[in-house]
Amino acid sequence: MTYNLIIAGIGGQGSILASRIVADAAIQAGSGVDGDLKVRVGETFGAAMRGGSVASHVRIGPDVGGPLVPKNAAQAILALEPLEGLRIGIPYLAPSGLAILNTSEVMPIDVKVGAASYPKLETIKAALESLEGRVYLLDATSLALEAGNAKTVSAVMLGAWANLAELPFALEQLKEALQGRVPPKTVSTNMKAFQLGFEAVASD
Amino acid sequence: MLLMGNEAIARGAIEAGVQVVASYPGTPSSEITESLIEQADEFGYYTQWSTNEKVAFEIAAGASLVGARSITSMKNAGLNVAMDTFMTIPYGGCKGGFVVAVADDPDAHYSSTEQDTRVLAAYAEILCMEPGDQQEAKDMTKEAFELSERFELPVMLRSVSRISHASGDVVLGDVEQGRNKIGFNKHYKVPYRWNVYGPPGARSKHEWLHRQLVDMKAYSEQSGFNEIRMVEGARTGIIGVGLGASYAQEAMQELEMHESISFLKVGIPFPLPEEKILAFLKALDRVAIIEEGDPVVENMIRVIAQCHGLDVEIVGKNAGRMFNPWGELNPDIVRKGIADFMRLSIAEDEARNAIKADIKELVTTRSSALCPGCSHLGTYWVVQKILKKIPGVHIVNGDIGCYEQGGYGEGGRKPASDEVSKKYKRSSPYETLDTIHIMGSGIGLAQGQVAAGYEDGKVLAVCGESTFFHAILPAIVNAVYNESDITFLILDNSWTAMTGHQPNPRTGMNTRGAIKPADIFDIVKSMGVKHVSRGNAFNLQEAEELLAEAVEAEGLSVLILEGECQLQNVRRNKITEGFMQVNQDTCNGCRTCVTLGCPSIKFDAVTKKASIDPITCCDCGLCTQVCPVQSISKGM
Repeated sequence: MTYNLIIAGIGGQGSILASRIVADAAIQAGSGVDGDLKVRVGETFGAAMRGGSVASHVRIGPDVGGPLVPKNAAQAILALEPLEGLRIGIPYLAPSGLAILNTSEVMPIDVKVGAASYPKLETIKAALESLEGRVYLLDATSLALEAGNAKTVSAVMLGAWANLAELPFALEQLKEALQGRVPPKTVSTNMKAFQLGFEAVASD
Repeated sequence: MLLMGNEAIARGAIEAGVQVVASYPGTPSSEITESLIEQADEFGYYTQWSTNEKVAFEIAAGASLVGARSITSMKNAGLNVAMDTFMTIPYGGCKGGFVVAVADDPDAHYSSTEQDTRVLAAYAEILCMEPGDQQEAKDMTKEAFELSERFELPVMLRSVSRISHASGDVVLGDVEQGRNKIGFNKHYKVPYRWNVYGPPGARSKHEWLHRQLVDMKAYSEQSGFNEIRMVEGARTGIIGVGLGASYAQEAMQELEMHESISFLKVGIPFPLPEEKILAFLKALDRVAIIEEGDPVVENMIRVIAQCHGLDVEIVGKNAGRMFNPWGELNPDIVRKGIADFMRLSIAEDEARNAIKADIKELVTTRSSALCPGCSHLGTYWVVQKILKKIPGVHIVNGDIGCYEQGGYGEGGRKPASDEVSKKYKRSSPYETLDTIHIMGSGIGLAQGQVAAGYEDGKVLAVCGESTFFHAILPAIVNAVYNESDITFLILDNSWTAMTGHQPNPRTGMNTRGAIKPADIFDIVKSMGVKHVSRGNAFNLQEAEELLAEAVEAEGLSVLILEGECQLQNVRRNKITEGFMQVNQDTCNGCRTCVTLGCPSIKFDAVTKKASIDPITCCDCGLCTQVCPVQSISKGM
């Protein structure tokens, strides 16, 4: 069985780093006694790279081949920006899949110049729920600021995912991978962000 | 450990004891050389960013001729630049292991075309390897150096975006401790070895190349990278090439077909293991071929089948095709293709598809944009302002780089007749460039338009400073020599920014340290251009005056607009504070600042006021210069 996770966002938000943290945890798990896990991380882009949509696909399992998640096969989607969660959720979210959306919106240039409109958060949530998604809205940007740095937003999202999902490895392995990937000076801020994300969805 | 495909290729070169690395950056290949540059001190080898792929190829080839193991990496289009030397080096052969790593880009995520460079390996008659995952990317690269020395020929490693820019778990190998001795033998094994014109002549060297091909084929037959798995009693088979093999294996597992289909994985697309393929085809009635790019392997297999009079049905990307010969593969396309081939029907969830079609409408486009504070924003603003004042249909020829973003508006537009098109007014800074093809193409096209007698408007061309060194120099000399009346803009932001901020001769550094930056003004002047000017891209008034002069000047005029890439400026000078803000009382809602195209500028449709995002704004000041009512100033 393959575990498929997609981390969606905008270039520079940290989706690629977050995907590598998850991949590191899986490699750690795969080399253990139970291990026969293969890991792939792929990326899909929207129309552009600069300020454009980026989604990192993480695939973990013994039979993984290519780096892209098949359609309707993502057990979880972490969206660092809500519109990007919708963009990726529609093709990729599996029925009963988990979608965690950061509520902090980044307006596309098309909206800023008045050529397009941005959907409401409730509309995005309802749309993903109409695909049988388990959708959580989370103000991850505020939690990241509370942890001490807006750039830890992906750590917040990983924390929330760790609480809501059945992880393909141990929670400790994910935490170790996070500590191993982020800049050394930011380890404690990132761990705090992870914990805040974990706790924010605990009462649900 | 987790490695990106490009990092895996770099690791393969390190394990093989690489001695010389020379490349020009190009997405999705750049991280191969970037990763090698990062590790150069630790493992001890020479690196350089060259001015273009042909030069880089020659650096690596030259190193090989004196015995060094060398690698050059490039994107698909990069090989076109290197073609002249790429085609001739195989006639003389090489000595030290020489690997040409080319990253193709099916679906053209980052490229002008979807060209399949495996065709060019076959054209040059050199061995080509194609990895199916990151582990193979490393292992093949390492082996490619050995093979290059065995066959005395360059070896091409063909990657694709989904290998190069994807990551996977890679088991590392040992690093070769010995290094090839550097030396030169004019007559190494063959008289006038490295002089393809010298006796015994090019025809005879071509014959030698074909004898090497026999040895390469023998290697391909026994290589573990070409792996056959026959299923007892199966009458159908699949041949998967590189990443296509990985997709195919996964899809067969999912469809539970792997016990009923024979499978051949091809990792060496040229030369193919003919005997292995024959044995495979002979046992089967129907075969499907799954590969990224053009039907390159498929066509060669059709030749093998035809030569041996085999009556086997072959499907792929040709007539009766299973896959389109454009775009890229993905797990869904491959699964559907295999299911169709096996005459299985996959149930589609129609209800779910209907919901999707409905909610898809909500997904707003996120168009590409230049970065906040990009100097090109101001340059395109000025170009449009000047050209609007001059009657006529002006042509602005561009090419590729960050400034290619000036080539499209926010939405697609319909085709129009010549007359309708003439009346079209450019409506945003993102609609400045009329032609974009490939590095350096704009200045040549501009000269052709003038040569044809185009008189309906001004003819301009633009390029970046890295492109200037890469592909522009002969074209400027040509314009001087043939007295072409065009206006040429060089947008100098000091970095090869689009591919990840590699340094170039303007940056003031190479891979070894600081150097004096090249002076483009002096270079252009010395080529005989009479009207050369230079200005600050962030000073719009200055840029406007200089451009007006350049456009009106008789004959060739060249204007250099300088402004460092803002991302690098912010990073290098650690700019963390400073932003612009809009006075909400005096803003008259004219939207002029919005049409500058800076992503930090927002417009509120309700209040009809502009505002600036203080987080992404980097204080460049371009917007303060375009606001007609002076409502934008430094924030507090």
